[in-house]
Amino acid sequence: MMKNESRFTDVVKEGISDVFYIWKEEFKNIFKDSGVVIFFFLVPFAYPLVYAFIYTNEVVREAKMVVVDHSDSYLSREFARRVDATGDVKIVGVCEDMEGAKRMLDKKDAYGILYFSSDFSKDLNAGRQATVSLYTDMSSLLFYKAFLLSTTEVSFDLGKELTVRNHPDVSKKADQIKVNPVPYESVALYNSQMGFASFLVPAILILVIQQTLILGVGMLGGTAREKNKCHALVPIDRHFRGTLRIVLGKSLTYLVLYVLVCIWVITIVPRLFSFPQIGNPGVILLFFLPFLAAAIFLSMTLSGFMTSRESPMLVFVFTSVIFLFLSGVSWPKESIPGFWKIFGYFIPSTPGIQGFTRINTAGAGLSEVMNEYRLLWVQAGVYFISACLIYRYQIIRTCKDKGML
Amino acid sequence: MSFDVRKYGVRAIAVREIKRMLSHRLYFFCMLVAPAISVVFFLSLMREGLPTNLPVAIVDLDNTANSRNLVRQLDAFTQTKVVLSATSFTEARMAMQRGEVYGIYFIPRGFSEEATSGKQPQLSFYTNGTYLIAASLLFRDMKTMSVLAGGSVGLQLGTAHGLPLSQIMGQIQPIVIDTHPVGNPWLNYSVYLNNTILPGILQLMVFLMTVYCIGVEIKWDSARQWLDMSRGVLWKALVGKLIPYTVVFTIVGFMICAVLYGFSSFPLESGWFPILSAVFLLVIASQAVGIFMISVLPTLRLGLSFACLFGMISFSIVGFSFPVLGMHPTLQALSQLFPLRHYFLIYVDQALNGRDLYYSLTQYSMLLGFLILPFLTGKNLKKALLCMKYIP
Repeated sequence: MMKNESRFTDVVKEGISDVFYIWKEEFKNIFKDSGVVIFFFLVPFAYPLVYAFIYTNEVVREAKMVVVDHSDSYLSREFARRVDATGDVKIVGVCEDMEGAKRMLDKKDAYGILYFSSDFSKDLNAGRQATVSLYTDMSSLLFYKAFLLSTTEVSFDLGKELTVRNHPDVSKKADQIKVNPVPYESVALYNSQMGFASFLVPAILILVIQQTLILGVGMLGGTAREKNKCHALVPIDRHFRGTLRIVLGKSLTYLVLYVLVCIWVITIVPRLFSFPQIGNPGVILLFFLPFLAAAIFLSMTLSGFMTSRESPMLVFVFTSVIFLFLSGVSWPKESIPGFWKIFGYFIPSTPGIQGFTRINTAGAGLSEVMNEYRLLWVQAGVYFISACLIYRYQIIRTCKDKGML
Repeated sequence: MSFDVRKYGVRAIAVREIKRMLSHRLYFFCMLVAPAISVVFFLSLMREGLPTNLPVAIVDLDNTANSRNLVRQLDAFTQTKVVLSATSFTEARMAMQRGEVYGIYFIPRGFSEEATSGKQPQLSFYTNGTYLIAASLLFRDMKTMSVLAGGSVGLQLGTAHGLPLSQIMGQIQPIVIDTHPVGNPWLNYSVYLNNTILPGILQLMVFLMTVYCIGVEIKWDSARQWLDMSRGVLWKALVGKLIPYTVVFTIVGFMICAVLYGFSSFPLESGWFPILSAVFLLVIASQAVGIFMISVLPTLRLGLSFACLFGMISFSIVGFSFPVLGMHPTLQALSQLFPLRHYFLIYVDQALNGRDLYYSLTQYSMLLGFLILPFLTGKNLKKALLCMKYIP
């Protein structure tokens, strides 16, 4: 009985010292390998900056528009002048006819046409509803949105003033009621200017963390198998004889490194570019724990299938685009077909992005992201087991090669 | 002599490369499987074109026949679905933070009574700006709803005064905007995104495969043998090696077009020729950029990293989601360095808008211009192929 107990503590002691040995070895492996250093440090460092820079203007300003004015009246000119005065649209010219305006679109001198028919002013003065036509180049939806919102605003404002002016007989308050019986206000919560960077960059940050882990860990796995004579993942070494020690030791290395990466990505970058960030840091930290664990164990599982050091880059890079759309931050998750939704449950970035954007940008607490939080822990558990199985299989292979079994 | 013909020259190198391609499933995956997965994924993801039934919460503190009617009308919009009837704004906001709704429509207490008695009660609606697409679509529906609500009250007030309908409409909304989104009147997101994402993935895979197939010669120490087959002439060696990829990727690109413009019937105003030639030029331009990458960084892993990063940034800098004109001037200039950017501009002019070929000539020639790149760095590449030792 006593003997058994002391043997057990010995095993634990040896196990822990092996974990730290493997931890140290993996650190050395990482810093010896420029390819891995690129993905573990350079990419997480530079990518957020690049993306923040690309989307830094957040919204489109001064989208170029051309006017075709067949009404040629005070009202049509006033309408165009007010559209020009909005921040989002800039009138770059006036054309005689639609042909000329279309040519300006062809030459990319403008991206939208505002057309007043000859009846415009007549209709308005007669108290009938008048129509303004808007033609937009659909190469970018943001141009379309800028044109549509600006012209709609102007049409409401100008319309209200006209109604008041056409009915000078009634008192001021009564005018307002007739013109605008039910006023309304709209508020864009959490991203008040509906900016592009504030919407996309948080999702990209999470994706960068996951994908660089998959690529970096995959490269380490591929390199290990290339160097190994028998193409096995596990070296022949007495420290590398327990599955648990290898998986724990290696994952500890990645965790330590990625805590640093996360500090950069989620606390410093948003501040540099002043993205909306109202999340509680403690909640973010708690949420990141299962996310990192899931991403690390997934990477370790996948690394078992990498036979050369380059294959992860060839195989996994294109999946970034797919994973971004699976997350439901751009294409709403309610509209994702069932099959892909289920597939998304297997990828840490899906709940990771959903949860992080809601905590970080929308100020949700842990209870509001409980579904995502639980899913991440389940993923972490499942991928931990699968990583262990992969390494177990590789250890048996190594032992066989060595003739120990 | 006949031995020589078999062993040397462009054709022999091409045959050697095809054998390599068939010997390893990595090539098969990158050239065929990855594009196929992407096509199936993106087209099935966005098959609706526009997301429908986006969940919203309503906070109806008025709770009269009028306000309930308003809620029913909001629910009737195809893009909107009322999933939660909250008793307070806080409850609705928490549903939003849980990700269950993207918008909140707020009807204040006493709304119907105040509206009909002319006290101007205010309707409010909130969208979650974190989800840009969902928020934009809901904003549109909720705004229309609010205008209609005002209109119906105005209508009631107007008819009470005995005015004809045309005059009332002229009073309620004197000016209406009639929109014509040219080329994509359905505002279909699949048209909007997939026409660029899928060629973008094609470009990424061309970058990767070009860098890989050249870099692997250095890695496996077979570069000298490869160059010997072209008697040391670099361009012959490159042409022989890359032609099989050109053929496969061009076919893959044409298949993508067949799916986009044939199977899915996306707008193709210009006919097939301009877009197919753009796809072919995109393939060879990307191959030229790939040669440039491995020439500048003649280590397989570094070259591939370059290809990955450049390929991924293309998706953003090409400007199909956020327009290039809205970016910093430096980025506007840099965007010219990406073949996909020129492809995108050709697509917009030709397939989407059916403009005269004249307006795209610059872009076609820019794509051809990428073919100069290998000549600039050829010396570097040859040196690397002959002298470089692979360091694992």
